Amino acid sequence: MAMLKNNTILLILALIIGIVPAISGQKSKVYKTFKDTRVINSHSSETLPAGKLDFRIGHRFGDIAGVSGGWPTFYGFESSSDVLTGFEYGLTNKFMVGINRCKGSGPLKQNVNGLAKLKFFDQEVDGNTSFTFSLLGLATYSTMQKSTSEGVLNFFAKDAHRFSYHVELVAGRKFSERFSFQVSGGVTHRNIVASNDQNSIVSIGAASRIQISKAIGLILEAKKPFSNTRKGLEYMPIGVGFEWETGGGHVFQMNLTNATGISETDYIPYTNSDFRKGEFRLGFTISRLFSL
Amino acid sequence: MIKYLIVVAVCSISVLFPAKNTQLVEDYPMLTDLEMALGKDFGDKKPNMSIKGVSAEAGESLVKNGFATNASGKKTKQQSKHFVCTSCHNVEREDPNMAVNDAQARLLYTNEKGLPYLQGTALYGAVNRNTYYNGDYYKKYGDLVYKAKNNVREAIQLCAQECAQGRKLKDWELESILAYLWKIGLKTSDIQLSETEKTDLGEAVNNKEKQQEALFLVSKKYLDSSAATFVVPPVDRDKGNGLNGDVENGKLIYKNSCLYCHDKGRYSYLSLDEGSMSRNYLKKHIGTYHRQSVYQVVRWGVPVKSGKKSYMPQYPVEKLSEQQLADLVAFINN
Repeated sequence: MAMLKNNTILLILALIIGIVPAISGQKSKVYKTFKDTRVINSHSSETLPAGKLDFRIGHRFGDIAGVSGGWPTFYGFESSSDVLTGFEYGLTNKFMVGINRCKGSGPLKQNVNGLAKLKFFDQEVDGNTSFTFSLLGLATYSTMQKSTSEGVLNFFAKDAHRFSYHVELVAGRKFSERFSFQVSGGVTHRNIVASNDQNSIVSIGAASRIQISKAIGLILEAKKPFSNTRKGLEYMPIGVGFEWETGGGHVFQMNLTNATGISETDYIPYTNSDFRKGEFRLGFTISRLFSL
Repeated sequence: MIKYLIVVAVCSISVLFPAKNTQLVEDYPMLTDLEMALGKDFGDKKPNMSIKGVSAEAGESLVKNGFATNASGKKTKQQSKHFVCTSCHNVEREDPNMAVNDAQARLLYTNEKGLPYLQGTALYGAVNRNTYYNGDYYKKYGDLVYKAKNNVREAIQLCAQECAQGRKLKDWELESILAYLWKIGLKTSDIQLSETEKTDLGEAVNNKEKQQEALFLVSKKYLDSSAATFVVPPVDRDKGNGLNGDVENGKLIYKNSCLYCHDKGRYSYLSLDEGSMSRNYLKKHIGTYHRQSVYQVVRWGVPVKSGKKSYMPQYPVEKLSEQQLADLVAFINN
């Protein structure tokens, strides 16, 4: 546990000291390193503009192939591993908050997520700041019915067991109008876990957007959770997708990912699907911006 | 020699000690002041400064930022979530000759002055105009135009609620905007007067018999209304409007007009830049018959929709001529 804490601190220090450059004067900020506040499941370095409300719906179908996929589930179309419905709002150009409900794909379901994201550095055009830095905080509350069986996670001996948290530092850079890349490091903490699991998990991630045309981009992401005790439970959530900016404030995304959950407190600790066995699914996310 | 000295002395005296009944035009830096001195009655077009909170400063803030500070020192609610007045209107002079409506001359003049090139008529000089929402604007706003046509207050409210898709202005806000518009009225130096005309006007200030003629002279020196003619996009959009475009001029229009709203999505959800992807996107859609076509969006704009009130107003031909549109298309296709 102590080692994990050290790893976390080192990771955060490395990101801050190694990459954060000196704060410069008024320079032009790079516009939209990523088109959306998410890449696929991961949060991007972007925040919503001030006064914009984002209504978003995310859906992940069942496994395309593997044990749970194939013809019996019509290649996953007749299953849903997770569904997200939520609202997010830009309080300032650098700070957004949001709330969403997820079906949940891990042992804790019917989750309500509250999130806040702060962009504290913007990449500048010809400036000293080479990266956009954002800090995400996410809290999840499972509204699942309490079980009478003591051996399951939703026994909820204490109400605090319903909570899990995630904090993540994201550093993104737009290298050109066609290529953006970001790295991230985070910690996911669950108040209650199985005996062979651990409460806090450190993860690092990478994501990219390759702009194909004005409206269409190829998006890629991967997360690597680190655990000393969860041998055999570690699967890297990996995703690839296409994103359409349809104009009028719409972003539509279709993706393939082995992650079953959508929110960080779900897909980072509970992804146990192996891409190589066909245990990946089709998903889509719709984001619609409104001016409030 | 003596005759010569007498002539010089008389001229000097007349310059140093002008006749009592001759006023200097330069004494009236604001054109409205000169016109009032010539007997023009602006009636209730002047702002009512007796309302609590009214000031030209508050008006300027409303015009430029969409909010102001009220008499209690509190910041007002944003007038519009989508636009401010300066999204579509310059607040500085944008025409080299105030008596001529010449889109190309305006493009070059605004470029020289570092101003954007916009669809709306400049608010600079708005109080000098007699009518608003002229020409084809009735096609867009219907009956709403009629009460705004001859009433500057109604015109401001129409702009606030329909053009900017915002809330109705409170009385003190409306009067503040009007006070600011008076502040940015035409200057006497903006109109082109010969020395003889200046002398005539100066004399007319104190001579009622000459005032009618003097006011007529002044009225010919600037446009008292802004013409607006809506034209339709070309029928065959692949062929365009049949004019050969100038790429460099099109580039100027793209930079000073299109990017003013679309750069980094300033006033639009559609973000454009000077990169190849933006131009390819526009190029790909030029020949189509939907709103992604430059022809369509320039001439018809995009409509306000329920839940999506941010929209793009069209360019009347007086604000973007057919030749300029051909230039813009030439730049995009280049």
